[in-house]
Amino acid sequence: MSSETTTGATGSARPDVERLHVAGLHAASDAVLSVRDLNVRFNSENGVVHAVRGVDFDLMPGKTLGIVGESGSGKSVTSLAIMGLLPPTAEVTGSVRLKGRELLGLSDKAMCEFRGNDLAMVFQDPLSSLTPVFTVGTQIMEALTIHHPAMSRTAKEARAVELLAMVGIPSPKDRLKAFPHEFSGGMRQRVMIAIAIANNPRVLIADEPTTALDVTIQAQVLEVLHTAQEETGAAVVMITHDLGVVAGMADDIMVMYAGKPVETGAVDDIYYNPRMPYTMGLLGAVPRVDAAEKSSLVPIEGMPPNLIHTPTGCSFAPRCPLASDACLDGEPPLAPVAGGALHRAACIKSESLGGTVDVHDVFTAPPVPLSRFDAIPRAERSTVLQLKDVRKHFPLTRGALIKRRIGTVKAVDGLSFDIREGECFSIVGESGSGKTTTLLEIMEFHPDQDGEVVIGGLSNKQAADAKTKGRMRRELQMVFQDPTGALDPRFTVYEVLAEPLQNAGMDRAAIRKRIMELMRLVGLQPDHVNRFPNQFSGGQRQRIGIARALAVNPKLVVLDEPVSALDVSVQAGVINLLDHLRAELGLSYLLVAHDLSVVRHISNRVAVMYLGKIVEIGAVDRVFDNPRHPYTRALLSAIPVPDPQLERTRERIILQGDLPSPLQAPKGCNFATRCPVFAALPPGKQEKCLTLEPPLEPAASATDQQFACFFPDGEMDEDMLVVHEPADHVAP
Amino acid sequence: MTYLNAVDPAAVAQDAHLESVDVVIGKNTIIFRRFLRNKTAVAGLAIFLALTVFSFIGGFFTEWDKETIDPFNIGMPPSADHYLGTSQAGIDLYAMTVEGTRISILIGLVVGLVSVLVAAVYGCTMAYFGGKVDKGMLFILEALIMMPALLVVAVATSGGGAGLKRDLPSWLLLIIVLLVFSWMGTARLIRSMSMSLMQRDFVKAAQYMGVPPRRIVWRHLVPNIGSLLILDITRGVTAAILAEVAFSFIGIGIKVPDVSLGVLIGQATSQVQTFPWMFWVPLTVMFLLTGSLAMMNDGLRDAFDPSSSSTGKAKKAKARKIHAEKKTA
Repeated sequence: MSSETTTGATGSARPDVERLHVAGLHAASDAVLSVRDLNVRFNSENGVVHAVRGVDFDLMPGKTLGIVGESGSGKSVTSLAIMGLLPPTAEVTGSVRLKGRELLGLSDKAMCEFRGNDLAMVFQDPLSSLTPVFTVGTQIMEALTIHHPAMSRTAKEARAVELLAMVGIPSPKDRLKAFPHEFSGGMRQRVMIAIAIANNPRVLIADEPTTALDVTIQAQVLEVLHTAQEETGAAVVMITHDLGVVAGMADDIMVMYAGKPVETGAVDDIYYNPRMPYTMGLLGAVPRVDAAEKSSLVPIEGMPPNLIHTPTGCSFAPRCPLASDACLDGEPPLAPVAGGALHRAACIKSESLGGTVDVHDVFTAPPVPLSRFDAIPRAERSTVLQLKDVRKHFPLTRGALIKRRIGTVKAVDGLSFDIREGECFSIVGESGSGKTTTLLEIMEFHPDQDGEVVIGGLSNKQAADAKTKGRMRRELQMVFQDPTGALDPRFTVYEVLAEPLQNAGMDRAAIRKRIMELMRLVGLQPDHVNRFPNQFSGGQRQRIGIARALAVNPKLVVLDEPVSALDVSVQAGVINLLDHLRAELGLSYLLVAHDLSVVRHISNRVAVMYLGKIVEIGAVDRVFDNPRHPYTRALLSAIPVPDPQLERTRERIILQGDLPSPLQAPKGCNFATRCPVFAALPPGKQEKCLTLEPPLEPAASATDQQFACFFPDGEMDEDMLVVHEPADHVAP
Repeated sequence: MTYLNAVDPAAVAQDAHLESVDVVIGKNTIIFRRFLRNKTAVAGLAIFLALTVFSFIGGFFTEWDKETIDPFNIGMPPSADHYLGTSQAGIDLYAMTVEGTRISILIGLVVGLVSVLVAAVYGCTMAYFGGKVDKGMLFILEALIMMPALLVVAVATSGGGAGLKRDLPSWLLLIIVLLVFSWMGTARLIRSMSMSLMQRDFVKAAQYMGVPPRRIVWRHLVPNIGSLLILDITRGVTAAILAEVAFSFIGIGIKVPDVSLGVLIGQATSQVQTFPWMFWVPLTVMFLLTGSLAMMNDGLRDAFDPSSSSTGKAKKAKARKIHAEKKTA
């Protein structure tokens, strides 16, 4: 029905009209994009899913709005509705005005005039959003051709080169003819941004633009987005689940929950003075990379509500620790709160949640678990895993018939470390640095490997027979990154958990007993054992994965990015669980993660890897508070912190480029090609970096910290340091 | 501070319902229920079962058999004596149809089941071990695909296989030949599907738990391509029945005195005008047979697919009700 797409057209929509009048349908005439009472409904097998329920916002030119919320909160659907990219089966009502022109209800063809011209979008996954069969230049020029058919070819080429240069792609003229697969993920995202800003859009919508990228690349891309915004003067809608990412960028924040904005306001109000328990929970659930003190994270228990049923009360009430009977009496409207001018929150208790209320008072965080090993000095604990000079080199061959070896990829190059009982050891680094290969080498446990892996006293050199391997498997188990992929969809939870136990030769009754124990241990209801994995939420599935790993009582659990696929609020619960299990069962962890905040929170020791080598290793507080290697410093400075003021004034090291291809691996220090210290060194000293390989040496003070750099105290190159001007970002 | 869990009574009720039911429902029950929900599939199954039963006990309802000639009724249309009439030679068509249906179903089931089983094990083994094993097995597979099946069938059942023919009934010979040439396509498909499954974390998880390869193939790979296997069995049965009909039709499949639907149809084609019942009866039975299998196919896939959208009936009805309420409001 066409009348549904224009607000206030029918008499039956009177409450809407009144509501819109209050919200000010025609307010803020200078707003470049104004959204009023946006509603999106999908028909599903189970009923009508009301995915977005009444979103209002105004976007001023040149400003950035951050939309934050967990998955399923309707962030992406909102952006797609604005772009008119939802499937025709979705029912969209309300009003979306771009420079005063109504967009909802326009045909797909009419929308094409706006999309890519005034309204542009950057998608989450840069790997799949470029067409692999066309060159990057063709794809940029396509965006220009569509909206400027009269433009000449040379003009378009010049503009494409200009755009590529603007997003920081080196030698843009040559790269125009390159295909997407010749670019790395971060570069492709830059190209996507270039395409998006090709026609000087008024509004740029970025849907989780950095979620799929490494932290160092994320910092680069955020920087590019920032320059792109400055160049074009576009307003940006930034959709993310990471409160850190938007802290430094956004002017205003809208927190969404269950398809509804629950708190909106200027960025400082939201971060320093949240008035809605959900926002407080989100902020408390994020581990901080800059905080050393050990306190449990605040998990938000429960799951987002099912949007098929219309909530009769506050939609957050079932998960809210402050909920009372009054909360169930109708959904609270978004009402202004004292303090910020435009700060509004949808909570009846917002007045009592002033700036002084600590999130730990509101949400009950579990006590910090203490392991029995914490009191014993590290040197006196027994070793559960030891790696001695482990190498994994892959030959690189070329030629169809006769394979010539043209080089070696040194995925892991001489790695040595050990893990003691009750300890969490983390490996961090960009993708391609050899973290996962290291894990695979450990899990492989084969006598032919280069280097020695000792697990609980069993060396891989003696692991010729299946029996030794079986014994090793009982010492070491793994938790995978993607909880969905790691569980056989055709197994019930019972079968999933029974598999390692059957393999260990336990009888039926003992297996049953153990499974019930495990379910309780990881905080799942024991009577859910007959369900299939797809009946659980992501966090619960990861708990099942953890339970499976713990089934045979291993000493060491290998965690491969255990929380990166989870929402912030759920992530906190899983991290707390891991912490708790480590203390209670005396487990050791080997954790691989790209999220340094999580690493800081959970681990005792950390190793930073770059191109297959450890560049810095030591106690986590030492390494994070006093990083010596320039790469560690760059990594740490790239992590966004959920603190807008700190974020604005923080000095950032932006590494140039990506990981070098293993073929061009430098002879001396691996990191020299991207090193900010190296760039600032005089040529005489540079020579040393280029010819000699820095060994891993202990830091001056005799603490648990080693690093591999000749000039740890060298000056940083000015070009690679970015400090945002504070005045740049203050909201009006 | 009150911690409230009960907000939405509908959601709570649904949850409670889920919990009470879920504990008792087994996996097989769920699959069975989903299958039963598809009416076409159930009808297909019923027809197929009825035909199978008919082919085994149908012979008891008449005193004639496929070899006895009735000299008083030669080429007669259906009558009380001969339910479906008689052939040109005076043999009862009903008896022949019963016998022919049995042979066709036998050939179809054996070839369909065994070839898919061979394909599954062969394909999964190739994918699991990879490398040299994969290469060698793939070579055998490709070589078999290259071989002209029609010629081999013709040679085996006619001239060349004289020794074989003496020892084996013609239907068993046909089964063997069909088996040899029917599993390769499926095996190659299964190989590629299992290869992508091998990349999945749950296979890695099982490997890291120390589960032996044989078990991983059998417990993780085969069930996860289960819906494909089921579809391929029903498709394979259909294909085998049709192949038998086709080979017999051109005279290189089942040989007289053995009867099959193909033989009956083949014999009758020249006399559709004079003895129409001789042609239409076996043809109808063949259509019923292959048609019922096709009807089952769809229902089976839905039942086995864990991500299938086939949801409970109650839920659908409820959703419709809610929707209706909304519209009226």
